[in-house]
Amino acid sequence: MKAVEVLLLDDEPIVGQRLKSGLVKMGCTVETFENPVAAMARIAQKKFDIVITDVMMAEANGIQVLEAAKKLNPEVKVIIITGYATAELAREAMEKGAYDMIAKPFKPADLRGLVVRAMQELGVQVVAPTEE
Amino acid sequence: MNLSHFFHQPAGDRHPVPGGLALTEQERELLDRPAFSFRFQIILGFLIVFLLSVAIIIGAMVAVNHIQRRITTFQTWQRFLFDVEQARRWEKNFFLYGTNLQEALESSHEAQRLLEANLEALEAISGPQGREAIAGHLAKYHALLQDLYRLVQAGTLSSRVQDELETNLRHYGALVVEDAADVAARENQLVLSWLDLMQKVPTYYLVFHFVLMLWMTRFLSNRFMKPLNYLVKQTKRIATGDFSDVKPIRKYRDEFTTVEVAINRMLRELESRQNSLIDSHKLRAVGILTAGVAHELNNPLNNIMLTAHAILEEYQALSAEETVAMVKDIVAETDRSRAIVHNLLDFTRETESVMGPLQLGRLLEETIRLARNQVKVKRAILESLIAPDLPQVHGDRQQLKQAFLNLILNALDAIGEEGIIRVTAAPAAPGVLQVQIEDNGCGIPADALTHVFDPFYTTKPVGKGTGLGLSVVHGIVTKHGGDVTVKSAPGHTVFTVTLPCRAPVAAPLDPAGRQEGHRT
Repeated sequence: MKAVEVLLLDDEPIVGQRLKSGLVKMGCTVETFENPVAAMARIAQKKFDIVITDVMMAEANGIQVLEAAKKLNPEVKVIIITGYATAELAREAMEKGAYDMIAKPFKPADLRGLVVRAMQELGVQVVAPTEE
Repeated sequence: MNLSHFFHQPAGDRHPVPGGLALTEQERELLDRPAFSFRFQIILGFLIVFLLSVAIIIGAMVAVNHIQRRITTFQTWQRFLFDVEQARRWEKNFFLYGTNLQEALESSHEAQRLLEANLEALEAISGPQGREAIAGHLAKYHALLQDLYRLVQAGTLSSRVQDELETNLRHYGALVVEDAADVAARENQLVLSWLDLMQKVPTYYLVFHFVLMLWMTRFLSNRFMKPLNYLVKQTKRIATGDFSDVKPIRKYRDEFTTVEVAINRMLRELESRQNSLIDSHKLRAVGILTAGVAHELNNPLNNIMLTAHAILEEYQALSAEETVAMVKDIVAETDRSRAIVHNLLDFTRETESVMGPLQLGRLLEETIRLARNQVKVKRAILESLIAPDLPQVHGDRQQLKQAFLNLILNALDAIGEEGIIRVTAAPAAPGVLQVQIEDNGCGIPADALTHVFDPFYTTKPVGKGTGLGLSVVHGIVTKHGGDVTVKSAPGHTVFTVTLPCRAPVAAPLDPAGRQEGHRT
């Protein structure tokens, strides 16, 4: 079975470092990015199944990444990470087709749970995520 | 008149200060000055005029009295002239008809008696020589008459002697008449000149009095207008936000001193209100910043959370080095959280206004750090071009930070998509530093531009702005002896803050010397 392609974007390097191994164990192929411009360039090259992105970043924001990803692959599941969740932002993200949102600070298991749901919706059989 | 009533009064008795508050050192100093009230100045002016009038009236009375005595003397001299002329008429009768010699002697004697009684007056009018001459002539005339009388009585008057006596009598008689007429005429002249003086003096006095009154009016109104104009100028100065005390223009205390003391009291009230306004507005800025800080804190918190969970989940699989690296991550992220909180707390802390030497560049960088999250939330770019080695500024760190923060937050409110804010700091002139906060936002309409620093003036929707931010900026900058101005066009608004700095600035900075701005 083909591995689920995941792009993980956050300008905080630790986020990518800590989440990557857990997602790989679940059978995902994970590419991490800290720069949204580089991430969007990669999205343009490769079809990802799941995109996980932070919202507040200097060069571009998560909504732009969401739009770019949806434009290339309407089926993509985009999970928005936010440190500053406003109703306005949530509405905008949902209107633009985000799969779900998760607010910082979150437990790795919470995000993995979201990814599992997204994978199931994509029709992928999932290995049960390891709880701590 | 009790002058002490005007000159010295214990402070506070005659000048109760509104509010009944305790007097400050400076107020006491002002009120303890020797008083020279306008009331006293007016009374003094009119007293001088009154005393002058009294002097003139006394002078007039003395003059009238003098004229009266002159007239009496004049009458005496007329009487003298009459007696002398009478003697001469009797003398003529004797030589024509041989009669009246006795009467001639009597008249001559009477004239002599009058002369004896008024010798002093005669000397006053004709001088000692004149007196001698008149007395001599009269004595000679009288002696001749006596000789004639003796010869007639003895019956030994020869025609030769008679002719000789007649010639002498005529000669001396004419001299005496001439003298008497001269004295009377002189006296008459004197009376006339006194009367003339009496006519002229009141006229001159009226003119003098008129000029004096004109001068006094001018003098007194000047005394009123000068401090009034001064106070008008002072209120204009105060209106620009300069709350330093009004200094009295006169060394002594007058009615305006009370006004000055009251204005100074009002100034201190205004200053304390301005300070509480600044404080309350600071809390508002803190409110705005808190949201940004919360977001900023979420990042290190999330990093700590993820790292801690990673250790929990995989501690068996992790090497000792990896575990140490992760724990170090947690420590570093905790430090980062502490710095974020410290930065806000440092700004929030309520402190007494402390003026001291400040590095404006560092202060601006701290301010930019405070606003960084707001910039991020707004997805804006903040560039800072702060010249290195700026001279020190004397000021209140907290308040200046607040002023610049307000300007940056204001710029953030103004910008839309792709907003850029530029903070520039450089010397503008010797002794003057200039900080500019530019944005590419919507701009300020021309009609609002003159009002932006007015308190409670806002163009933002109800509930979004208090209209105090920029007035607080103006208040703070003015308090530091600086100035804040604004220029605006759609797409480019510049707030320019100038502040006096301590050390003289060598040369205005050239653009090549500017520190490369960092992007946030």
